[in-house]
Amino acid sequence: MYRALLPRAAPRAPLRPAGSQTAFRASNIYFQDRLRRTYATETEEKDLVIIGGGVAGYVAAIKAGQAGLKVACIEKRGSLGGTCLNVGCIPSKSLLNNSHLYHQILHDTKNRGIEVGDVTLNLGNMMKAKETSVSGLTKGIEFLFKKNNVEYIKGTGAFRDEHTIDVNLIEGGETSLKAKNIIIATGSEATPFPGLTIDEKKVITSTGAIALQEVPKKMIVIGGGIIGLEMGSVWSRLGAEVTVVEYLGQIGGPGMDAEIAKQTQKMLTKQGMKFKLNTKVMGGDDSAESIKISTEAAKGGKEETLDADVVLVAIGRRPYTAGLGLDNIGIETDDKGRLVIDQEYRTKIPHIRVIGDVTFGPMLAHKAEEEGVAAIEYITKGYGHVNYGAIPSVMYTHPEVAWVGQNEQELKAAGVKYKAGSFPFSANSRAKTNLDSEGMVKFLADAETDRILGVHIVGPNAGEMIAEATLALEYGASSEDVARTSHAHPTLSEAFKEAAMATYDKAIHY
Amino acid sequence: MNATKSLLSQARQPMIRFLGKRTTPSKIDHTPHAHPASPTNTLPESFASYRQKAQQHGPLNQTLSYSTGGRIGGQSGSSLGPVAAGKGEVFDRSELPARFQRLSWTQAEIEAVESGGASLFA
Repeated sequence: MYRALLPRAAPRAPLRPAGSQTAFRASNIYFQDRLRRTYATETEEKDLVIIGGGVAGYVAAIKAGQAGLKVACIEKRGSLGGTCLNVGCIPSKSLLNNSHLYHQILHDTKNRGIEVGDVTLNLGNMMKAKETSVSGLTKGIEFLFKKNNVEYIKGTGAFRDEHTIDVNLIEGGETSLKAKNIIIATGSEATPFPGLTIDEKKVITSTGAIALQEVPKKMIVIGGGIIGLEMGSVWSRLGAEVTVVEYLGQIGGPGMDAEIAKQTQKMLTKQGMKFKLNTKVMGGDDSAESIKISTEAAKGGKEETLDADVVLVAIGRRPYTAGLGLDNIGIETDDKGRLVIDQEYRTKIPHIRVIGDVTFGPMLAHKAEEEGVAAIEYITKGYGHVNYGAIPSVMYTHPEVAWVGQNEQELKAAGVKYKAGSFPFSANSRAKTNLDSEGMVKFLADAETDRILGVHIVGPNAGEMIAEATLALEYGASSEDVARTSHAHPTLSEAFKEAAMATYDKAIHY
Repeated sequence: MNATKSLLSQARQPMIRFLGKRTTPSKIDHTPHAHPASPTNTLPESFASYRQKAQQHGPLNQTLSYSTGGRIGGQSGSSLGPVAAGKGEVFDRSELPARFQRLSWTQAEIEAVESGGASLFA
């Protein structure tokens, strides 16, 4: 209270952060200042502060700006978009697309009537193309922030108390923000493998896998999930000998339908990738030039030592909450490090919400995006919508694998009576003309009502095609509803329609 | 026309139906429940105990309608329920959210007091 009495030649920053008045103030201001001090609202209070500018955070920030909230978004990376845009989905898709083109030019032109001369890889330029895509997209979000009046704060945010966040700014200095509502959207990080030190050069996570300086001769991928198979595909196409070691008996993770996983494994094996399923990695030695990985059959027994120039650790991701100051507000995490929330994304402190990878649900960018919109709607309207039963998954290998809803093994385990119908791309006219006809579409529908329970696709353009399945699932459609909807000819989507026909009746072209 | 009628009566009923423009339900239960993607399908005890203790626009353990009026501020402040303590009930300042509590002195402020303000210009 004394500071209000004193004439000021210097800013008030040494006493309290973010003070704005620096000049001498008349005594009548003194009382206002006392009041202000009592309520501790010296810093301008925001309607909403979001910690994390990844997909969950930036979408929430834009939506909040559109809703007219006074919003700030804190991001420590220095560029927006989080893991997805900077070191995840986007750069990997650039490499997947361009490495596929390279592979196709090398191996799949003669039968198309195209003769090509010497084809060489310029990895540096391939990486540059990736970086151009990434920087264009991240700058695009900065533009959207400006357009929607979102304050972008580059720094690391940590809770001081339930309403105050201290920010350590990237460019030096500190600031603090007060907010009525706070959203934690700090995302996730790659889970390290015990015994292996990640240096992002020889022992890498997905972050290092999109930035290798040269094509390794031998690469081991620990974990046959989506990330491992996508990055394994990239380096396999570019010339590496890739071996995938997976603990489970199938690739693609537990969400992928077993029949689809088997087919996909066959196709990837044909492309040159090697698989060791039901295999446990016991440890690794990265002290020498070549890394040695010791493995054992998952059920015990057969031991083997594999060696590689590069080992990609892709055993999953874990929530990222380090340095967030959760202890200062007493918010707990569950046994997997996820922040516990209720149905409206609230923590036990109701004005602090959590969205994206750092909380429950699949760690997918589009799920995070949905939550970003819903969380803001809960704040502004008291009501939001995310259907966790209709979130698609896509693996961007070639061919792509995509699914939504339940798979056959889940339905069997739940004792649900279902019927299945499938259609191969080898019977689809467009896939035939494209000389790209591996794979199938598979529908699972309720045996009694015909309501679609799950759709699983492996084949060209599966990632785009799954949107139709997701919409059908969201609206509670039956396989007959899809089958009776006209699909353009000749398109790959006809395979989708025919699989629906095969589910409720019979396919025409198979 | 009769032929059309009979055809219509035999027509298949699609499962997809147009539900009309989406609207916010008039009554929403805002009390905390487990998140639909929660693996345990339960909420920790701390959720209930925090609400029991917390005061925010009136006690949080009451079901309030502040956000059911379509938007925040959609209803008058008086309808939000009493902020004051009930009869025989006393709120201690330390139980209130931090923004209502007294600020602790910073070292710089203490020094300012002790030096009669001189430390501000040191």
